[in-house]
Amino acid sequence: MPLPESVPAPLIIDTFKDLFRAERRGMRRQEPLGWIISVPDTHQKTVLAALDKERDVRVLTCSTEDEANGVAAGLWMAGEPVIVMIQHAGLYASVNTLRGIAMDGRVPIFYMIGLLSREQDKDPSESKHSMVRYAEPLLDVFAVPHARLEGPDDVKLIPEYYRLSRERRGPAAVLVGLATS
Amino acid sequence: METSVHPPMKPPMKPSMKPEDVLRVIAAARGTAICIPTMTTSPAWRTIAPGDLSIGCVGFMGGASTLGLGLALGCPDRRVIVFDGDGSLCMQLGSLPTIAGVAPRNLTHLLFKNNVYHTSGSQETPGGEGVDWVMMATGAGYRDAFVIRTLDELKEYLPAILNGEGPVFVELHTGLAEKTPMTDRGGLPFHQQVETLRGRLSA
Repeated sequence: MPLPESVPAPLIIDTFKDLFRAERRGMRRQEPLGWIISVPDTHQKTVLAALDKERDVRVLTCSTEDEANGVAAGLWMAGEPVIVMIQHAGLYASVNTLRGIAMDGRVPIFYMIGLLSREQDKDPSESKHSMVRYAEPLLDVFAVPHARLEGPDDVKLIPEYYRLSRERRGPAAVLVGLATS
Repeated sequence: METSVHPPMKPPMKPSMKPEDVLRVIAAARGTAICIPTMTTSPAWRTIAPGDLSIGCVGFMGGASTLGLGLALGCPDRRVIVFDGDGSLCMQLGSLPTIAGVAPRNLTHLLFKNNVYHTSGSQETPGGEGVDWVMMATGAGYRDAFVIRTLDELKEYLPAILNGEGPVFVELHTGLAEKTPMTDRGGLPFHQQVETLRGRLSA
């Protein structure tokens, strides 16, 4: 079954900002509205490009996904709203930090994870690319709740899983199944 | 602050500082700073500064520097001091340009250089004694970076270390700690430390 249309970057960014605004309510500090900690991801490059023009949201690019976890945890401890944007290869690269910080530390880290090379005509479990095939099973092994963003109607999953990470005090992820526009 | 206020360059010498002594000096002068010990500084710090604004990183080696970066960005009015190790920093070396790129003015990055992975049996770190961490931090773009070899130097340059415009990087030449996370496993579980620190920072 063909995937629906791509998700426009402004729709995702507006969703981020709504989340950040809600979390900022009542806080002493109001700026920046929130933080995006990223290691660049091809699938989400239009979002990252658009975020560069945002004045309210601060974007911090890390060298590695391990670092992104550490920075996000430090910001959360300081009371700051934060989202981590990476790609599936970065998820594989940072499993020990996800375990050590987000799981063992019970730090609510919400991830947007790009599924680069995900074929539109088949389920990720049938992908010929191992990096696409193993992302969801890996999250399942660690009992990390996850959902797939594969069309504008799925944007509602972002606040749902962001809040879920806060409620369960641990990691939660939305996998970006097709390149944003 | 001027960046030229450094200890003079000297040839390599046998480390004269005990990590515990360094920590005591820092503890006495840190004020309200958040401290982030990792690996072999963790057991000693628990004794020297119990129940304080600290969070120990054990179990995700290399994570102290970026945990400190996040705290520094989230608490811009408070000093954040990372007690890193050379083996640990090897594991997340990319954190040097990441930190330098954001350049938090309130971050001090202390590197306890003992040239070994003490916790796992004192295997030599890659490059061992020959690694020039100050050059790496300087090259990455830290505002200030210098070496401290003696307690006297540490005390002399403490204002630059704790109050200088960050990010400040200090390579501390030390011997081995008396305890490691393997010989002294005490302390609160990491998630309780997280919860405690978050609660105290929001109070």
